[in-house]
Amino acid sequence: MELVLGMKDSYPREVKRKREMEFVLRHLFERWGYEEVEPPTIEYYSTLENTLGDEAKERVYKFVDRNGKLVSLRPEFTTSIMRMYSKKELRESTPHRVYYVGKIFRYPSSPLRIEGELTQLGLENLGKNGVDTDAEIIALSLSALLALQELGIEDFMLDIGHVGIFQGVLSSLPLSHSEKLSLKTLLKKKDFVALENFTSISSHPLFPFLLHLPFLRGKREILEETRKNYPLNSPLIDALDYLEEIWNIISDFHLEEHVFINLGLVRDFDYYTGVVFEGFSPRSGYPLLAGGRYDELLEKSGNNLPACGFALFLERLMEVQKENLKESRLPFITINYPSRFRSSIFALAEKMRKEGIPVIMEEGKGEDIQVLQGKELIYQGKDEGKIKTLIQERFKSWES
Amino acid sequence: MGKLTMSIPTGRMKEESLALLSRLPQCPPLDFVNSRQLVVEREDLPWRIIFSHPKDSSTYVEFGAADIGIVGKDILLERENEVYELLQLPIGKCTMVLAAPLSTSREELLEKEALRIATKYPNFTRRYLQESGITANVVFLYGSIELAPPIGLADAIVDLVSTGKTLRENRLQVVEEIVPISGRLVANPVSIKTHSKEIYLLVRDLKEVMQHV
Repeated sequence: MELVLGMKDSYPREVKRKREMEFVLRHLFERWGYEEVEPPTIEYYSTLENTLGDEAKERVYKFVDRNGKLVSLRPEFTTSIMRMYSKKELRESTPHRVYYVGKIFRYPSSPLRIEGELTQLGLENLGKNGVDTDAEIIALSLSALLALQELGIEDFMLDIGHVGIFQGVLSSLPLSHSEKLSLKTLLKKKDFVALENFTSISSHPLFPFLLHLPFLRGKREILEETRKNYPLNSPLIDALDYLEEIWNIISDFHLEEHVFINLGLVRDFDYYTGVVFEGFSPRSGYPLLAGGRYDELLEKSGNNLPACGFALFLERLMEVQKENLKESRLPFITINYPSRFRSSIFALAEKMRKEGIPVIMEEGKGEDIQVLQGKELIYQGKDEGKIKTLIQERFKSWES
Repeated sequence: MGKLTMSIPTGRMKEESLALLSRLPQCPPLDFVNSRQLVVEREDLPWRIIFSHPKDSSTYVEFGAADIGIVGKDILLERENEVYELLQLPIGKCTMVLAAPLSTSREELLEKEALRIATKYPNFTRRYLQESGITANVVFLYGSIELAPPIGLADAIVDLVSTGKTLRENRLQVVEEIVPISGRLVANPVSIKTHSKEIYLLVRDLKEVMQHV
């Protein structure tokens, strides 16, 4: 009866914390006009193949179905949702605002890690592009983190970047396709020592900009400083201007407190085409949420559907959650009764349950009715009438 | 934001790391080379310092127990920690090599069926063998790697070499220099965001002092 390596059981306390978060977030998304969808747990591997990077591909759970086709447990939701909305009639009735909650599956990056199955809650805005849509999604991701403050998520920050930054640098570097790929890999691996030793481009005017990327982070002024300090080409200027427009909207929403512009932000998935962002906390080394724009995800299948979205990682949020929260449930009421009281106790228990008070019934061998709250005996006797008021009083005093 | 926490490896690289850091402007003399204290928090120091086992330094940084750290490239290649590699440091210099007995030529070695290679770096060795198309069993050892061929435990070794003295003493020779190794300055991916300015200044100052060796 061993637990599968990399998997994890969740017991009541933990599940309850997770459901509380889900509740808050679902509620928020609904109020912004997003509707829940539910893609299946498995997809044909060929659906995912085009959108995943090489490392991500190796971590997909794959198996063969009865027709001999390769299927996979979903490693993320975005591709599934794009598949759902790639149907012609849905593509023509945009925009769609949808959200989802569920498990994603990836083989752990190391056998020492428990991360084979993670819970994601996220949303997609399909069919619209432009700075206002991107700002809506970023504002919503901030609102999600702000809404979770009441559940003990503190000290969070949101970094906004743009894939056009690195692409802009790449476009003006005199490199072959394979050299560009290895440059990209170095950037993803955050190996700036190897990057600095990439001697074939070390005299290029944008090389210092490339090496400084991890430090080009700040509020609005980082854009001005960057424009002043580096010889930017036009794709780079466009990306910076775009980030400035987003910043303006976010600051008109008065949401800029937790937001930073990070020109060195790189995401793992290759499908992003515009703005990208990541929420994180100093209490965890991994992002709490991540997202961005991916207008060309369906391009390989010949369809066009602009989209922007993000996903929250619930287990990581729970990891940074402050634990000093009030115990959020009344210790269960247990009524232990002799068999002759069976029908009256059942009627009483049903009445309590309808009022929202959880009641457990146990038939005992004693003469008396015993009522326990948790392990504490709060009544012993034969007067069923008294029990009802006693329990209601206890419940009320706990609720207030 | 408090001070940066820096992880410095004990052992071979400790003295060199402290010597390098003490050349930084505003850094007081780091006079605890021989101290066995593991955590140093002092008013006059620009960082809180944790002395870690050399193999653990980058793990401290990956998990955020330290914001920045000094670690050998050999450890980064073996552990593949998710950290920013910011600077190549002029300390802990050596080479990762494939070495075999003097009596065995490269051709003889690679022609062997059921080739066995002993190493302290099983992950790295596995990748290296795969990339160079060599089929071999990897024997993982904790120490005295150079002893493996003479006693018949392995046909060759993958290990660090600095002067080559140990190899010669065990009648081994370098078959291939795989990769040059030296110390690296690494940073935690979240710390580089939350302490971006401090880390940037440290990198800048280190670059500056490294130019005047």
